[in-house]
Amino acid sequence: MNHPAYPASQAPRPPRRLASFELASVPGSERVALARVAQSVAGLNLPSGRLENLKTAVAEATMNAIEHGNGNRSDLTVDIEVFFSGTEITVAISDHGGRGDAGWIDGGEVPDLARKLRGEQGPRGWGLFLIRNMVDRLEVTASGERRTVWLAMRTQAPQAAGPGQEE
Amino acid sequence: MDEAPGLGVRKADGRTSVIDIKGDITAASEPALMAAYEEAARQRARRLVLNFSDLEYMNSGGIGMLVTMLVRANRQHQELAAYGLSHHYREIFELTRLDEAITIYDDERSALAG
Repeated sequence: MNHPAYPASQAPRPPRRLASFELASVPGSERVALARVAQSVAGLNLPSGRLENLKTAVAEATMNAIEHGNGNRSDLTVDIEVFFSGTEITVAISDHGGRGDAGWIDGGEVPDLARKLRGEQGPRGWGLFLIRNMVDRLEVTASGERRTVWLAMRTQAPQAAGPGQEE
Repeated sequence: MDEAPGLGVRKADGRTSVIDIKGDITAASEPALMAAYEEAARQRARRLVLNFSDLEYMNSGGIGMLVTMLVRANRQHQELAAYGLSHHYREIFELTRLDEAITIYDDERSALAG
């Protein structure tokens, strides 16, 4: 598979590729994605809470790639790569649907449960909200037919600054 | 005890039914989840307690299903409660503010007493 260019903003130092695989754009591939990503980072001592968050973000981003990127076309793959920089895991999830604008990430309404319960928003639309809140950084790049979502997570949660400490 | 397909529904007392969720809750779970809701309504439940102890995976589509159920329950003046959520899914309930609309308990006993 062709690899997307690793964005400079995601690279504190040259990363090591831990895994690279493709999945068909079919329902259930998101479960395969989260299991394989979890397997690839198993040796990195990621705290369990952060691992669960990463798995959720990977599954949601893979579903987005299948449904919105590839338009549920089973002949189009979702390509997934996992990198490790020493302190940070980055997962790149690419679709090939030709919807190359990266602007979708800023679009859409923020889900609001109160508004949903009043019928002012539909009940769905939680995917991007979950992704944003599960990882430390989210970025989207686009090149030709390929759009890539980059999910970055430090292996340790940042410590809150205490007295005499700088953040 | 009548059971909705895929999800068990138990009448706990005169006003409370427990829906035992098993496996995955995703958008594909809508028929099973809504059938379970209907079964609880047939049992004349005023309180529906969702048992997540055997939940394996829930995604954004599943959260959407819970919101749909919540809208229906609110219309019928029914109360929703839950127990058995893992730490991760408790955090997701807090993040989405579902915990403000669905009271979360640690176990079935406290959920039924609530």
